[in-house]
Amino acid sequence: MKSEWNWRAIKGMSLLIYLSMLIPLAVIVINSFNPQRIAGFPPESLSLHWYGEFFNNELFIDAVVVSIKVGIASALLCGAIGTVTAMGFVRKQFPIKNALVIVLLTPMLVPPVIIGVAATVFFVEIGWNRSIWWIVVMHTLIALPYAFLIVRSRLFLFNTTLEDAAMTLGADRLTTFREVTFPIISPAILTAMVLAFVISFGEFTATQFWVHRETTTVPIVIYSMARTLITPEVNVLATLVLVVTIVVPLVALVIQQRLSVNRT
Amino acid sequence: MSSTNLNRDSIQDAFLATKTRLMENRRVRFLLSPGLGLVWTLVFLLIPLTIIVAFSFFRSGDGTTIIYELTFENYLRFIDGTVYQRIIVRSFGIGVLTTLIVLPLGYTLGYFIGRSKSKWTPILLGLVVVQFWVPLVIRTYAWITILGREGVVNNFLMWTGLVAEPLQLLYTTHGMLLGLIVSILPFMVLPVYASVSTIDEEIIQAAKTMGASDIRAFVEVTLPLTWPGVVSGILFTFILSAGAFIAPELLGGSSDRLIAPVIATVFMQDFNWPFAAALSLIYVLLIGLVLYLFTRKADLEEALEGASL
Repeated sequence: MKSEWNWRAIKGMSLLIYLSMLIPLAVIVINSFNPQRIAGFPPESLSLHWYGEFFNNELFIDAVVVSIKVGIASALLCGAIGTVTAMGFVRKQFPIKNALVIVLLTPMLVPPVIIGVAATVFFVEIGWNRSIWWIVVMHTLIALPYAFLIVRSRLFLFNTTLEDAAMTLGADRLTTFREVTFPIISPAILTAMVLAFVISFGEFTATQFWVHRETTTVPIVIYSMARTLITPEVNVLATLVLVVTIVVPLVALVIQQRLSVNRT
Repeated sequence: MSSTNLNRDSIQDAFLATKTRLMENRRVRFLLSPGLGLVWTLVFLLIPLTIIVAFSFFRSGDGTTIIYELTFENYLRFIDGTVYQRIIVRSFGIGVLTTLIVLPLGYTLGYFIGRSKSKWTPILLGLVVVQFWVPLVIRTYAWITILGREGVVNNFLMWTGLVAEPLQLLYTTHGMLLGLIVSILPFMVLPVYASVSTIDEEIIQAAKTMGASDIRAFVEVTLPLTWPGVVSGILFTFILSAGAFIAPELLGGSSDRLIAPVIATVFMQDFNWPFAAALSLIYVLLIGLVLYLFTRKADLEEALEGASL
């Protein structure tokens, strides 16, 4: 009896939390179809008016293109560096390994504002001109710990006798990696890359220090429009980003499932 | 003649073989290199942080120039005036407050998902994971449309006639806290869920069979077993909320200037890089102190791993 009531309280509380997480997002999506300039809620009518305005506005399209480019580049770099680093940390023995792991994870601990300030000062001092590459290398840094942890946790589960078997049968180490190790850990690498893309696509606080007129990213646009209130196109942009950031990982999840099925 | 030929051939063979082995080795070593990620972190984070240390002892000149001479000016400015001290105290206070609220809420939801064994469980979990994917800016901006003068809440209250004038919900500390809490909740929910879902139900049943009450079974069995998840959640909640930028700027009032936005203003609008560097350093050292105290009670690496689940 008592148990029953506790569980009900937990259920009720959880429902409230879900509502607080989902209602704001739902309102954005609904408002994006509201033709009024000052969007009251609920809308009196629905239309695609602001979608039309959105696609005619180069500012938005450019930001989306920059964000996608940076996201893909960071995902590729994170996938490569994260995998190589995780392989090294799992398969090799070297001194002060535990301390070095913490070093690798520092980007998770240092507040993004500080990362933004520090990198800007550094790049300016060494005379590296502000460009999209600032954002790419720094987004790679910010997402790298996550990529590393994901690939490493997969390698911990990895049965090394499979590699030994391949090498006993005459495969050299590179072939072994290509034919045995990589296929097994590739779902984890994919997860790592998707997460890196998502982190890059959404990063705002550090990125605001690195952008300039031609490399403005989507979060920067949304933020500045939210501050200067506001053209309704921001709801369209937010809705599209919402769709992309949910659909991309879901598609990856499906691909990943396929990969896992093929292997067994 | 033929013997020298043979010799040359075999030498060449040996040479080629060594070369291939070397190349293979080098490629393999590259694949196994723990150094690549470390170098990346060193070059793009640790060296810049070191340069920040140096900058904090410089002085800002006219306009955007920097005078490269040793001075304690920036630190004295921090020590003398109470403005920046108060901003830092307030940021850490917001961090503690947010953590105290997020902990029970996040635990409840993580526990709920972990213990609900139905076909809906993956969807319940998915709805939380999706929060990670949607950019923080969008999740925070969404609250403007909820809390604003023409927002959902005010429109509803006016419609029911409960209030005659729209309430000031946006640009207040409460509005900021609400946005902050909801956006950070997933960082508590997921690690707690992960540890709850690994608990064997029979252990809890056993405690109850032996006469433990629900509360006692929770406090003595469930809670200790989920402790690693809780620790991970607390770490992320505190760091993210004490360093929050978007929620205080978009939802908070004029008194809600926390340390992260203040550093950004000093850096980008005042162009006072040395002072921004000093503030950053003070802030990072205080975070470092918290982390140090944290590592005396818990394993940092394990806690950080909790977020990648």
